[in-house]
Amino acid sequence: MTRRYIEIGVAMGVAAFLIAVPWLIPALTDNFWVSVITEILIWSLFAASVNLLFGYVGLLSFGQALYFGFGMYGVALGIDHLGLSFWPAFGFGIASAMAMALVSGVFAVRLSWHYFAIITVVFSLIFYFLAVSMKPLTGGDDGINFSLPPVFRFGRMVWSLTDPTFQYFFVLAVVSLCFFLMYRVINSPLGKGFLAIRDNDLRASLIGLNVYVLRLIAFVMAGFLAGVSGALFAFFGRYASASYMFYQVSGEGVVWTIVGGAGTMFGPLVGTTLFIVIREIVSSHWEHHSLIVGLLAILAVIFAPKGIVGLWNGWMMRLDERDAAVSPAMTLQADP
Amino acid sequence: MSEPVLRTEGLTKRFGGLTAVDNLSISLASRRVHAIIGPNGAGKTTFFNLLSGLLSPDGGRVFFRGQDITGRKPHEISRLGIKRTLQVKSVFPELSVADNLWITRQARNRFLHPFRPAASDLEARSHVARTLEQTGLAGLASRPAGTLSYGDVAMLEIGMAVISEPSLLLLDEPTCGMSPAETGRAVAKIRDLARTIDIVIIEHDMDVVFGIAEDITVLAQGAILASGSPAEIANDERVREAYLGRPEDEDFVEEAAHA
Repeated sequence: MTRRYIEIGVAMGVAAFLIAVPWLIPALTDNFWVSVITEILIWSLFAASVNLLFGYVGLLSFGQALYFGFGMYGVALGIDHLGLSFWPAFGFGIASAMAMALVSGVFAVRLSWHYFAIITVVFSLIFYFLAVSMKPLTGGDDGINFSLPPVFRFGRMVWSLTDPTFQYFFVLAVVSLCFFLMYRVINSPLGKGFLAIRDNDLRASLIGLNVYVLRLIAFVMAGFLAGVSGALFAFFGRYASASYMFYQVSGEGVVWTIVGGAGTMFGPLVGTTLFIVIREIVSSHWEHHSLIVGLLAILAVIFAPKGIVGLWNGWMMRLDERDAAVSPAMTLQADP
Repeated sequence: MSEPVLRTEGLTKRFGGLTAVDNLSISLASRRVHAIIGPNGAGKTTFFNLLSGLLSPDGGRVFFRGQDITGRKPHEISRLGIKRTLQVKSVFPELSVADNLWITRQARNRFLHPFRPAASDLEARSHVARTLEQTGLAGLASRPAGTLSYGDVAMLEIGMAVISEPSLLLLDEPTCGMSPAETGRAVAKIRDLARTIDIVIIEHDMDVVFGIAEDITVLAQGAILASGSPAEIANDERVREAYLGRPEDEDFVEEAAHA
């Protein structure tokens, strides 16, 4: 019981904090932290795409930046070249990312472990170099800037992401919706199929699961999550750049996920928060802040193989066991 | 005589220079428990791997109730109703015992719903509850399968085979690693299953083989050495020599003669 109270308490605390951010942060500290938190939310969705593949299907992808980049460029090119308005551009970005994930997934999910990891890196490198070299279209490393179309327009009322508070809530709503969808998938029959494949793909095929197709579905779903985060990040920065398709970005997503807790719903959010906060605090004082990232990643792999959320779950489990041991004694005492 | 449940024609599998299954033609009658025995390396597990699609043969064909299933994928063969257990026990270690059974039941369906909560499937849940009861694993339902004892994992494998309602069950040393009590429970379960399901069993424990099987095929070096009823096999001289080995005192006499 104690466990449930604590977990409900934490969940409500986090939800209340996230809703209060636009008012709480200016009251406590610099406004700049509102945009840091917005950025954390966007990147946590990117880490969630790594987590869906690694934590729930057992596929370690070092190439998720490719789909992030496609989400980004889909939005930027949609607005800048095709003259799309907000929602069609958003949809175009997500659809491009999913289409790319489908094409590379057809080849990648035939393989597992290091072969899978390598082919995902190779795919992302190919498209990174293509994006860098196709400067007239993509702007290369400099990227392309665009001006934001409004999100909604009713008569004279216009909502646009240029309003930081609206932008924050828009990102919070989209990210929450994506996490909710992922939660639904993980707890569905399809999600159990994913877990079975992660645990033992040979056995999974012998009970009749089509391992190839299920992995491909997961890969496209992960492409969706990465694509949404890339599209949001394009709106957030008002630009797209090939540098976000580099495999270092993919690697960061992997580190955030593993330190936060792969195979847990909110591990990626915790890991992303930790590392972006460290980056924001330390990088202004010390240029080698990535050393801290490396050190934390090593410590996590050695001492908390299931990440920070894994540690937390372990504590909660012990609390459960203690409760189970204590409660019979308590009922005895209560008896006259 | 009815159509054989399983028939192979000239089935062959080579690993490099080694011919593991050598031009094997076998026909297994329906409604009989069939045991395949043979010394280590006789090709028994390779034969199962060819039947279940984990390996594709270098030659020959496999027919399941008259249908050619040669070279099909494991999940396709599984969906036809051919289920198997593995020699090295193989379950989903991080899923709970109940979830192991649940996903095995669900895998019979082509479509896995992506959004509906898994727990809402009452039909599958009642099957899981019944199978837990039948295999004596009800008390362990919420334990991760990876934390079970070896005998319980073997029992869970049998449960997973049962819950999928196979029409042909391939059991690869199902009682290996079980305690005598667990073996008794497993044998009773297999006998019970045999009333409705065709079963082929690979087994080293001769008490189990002679306790369950109605037909026995002896493999040696990938080919059929003998086949027949348990009584015929038990009295077959060649089988005794190749498989059961000569009595130790004869070896001793021979060694003494060469000395």
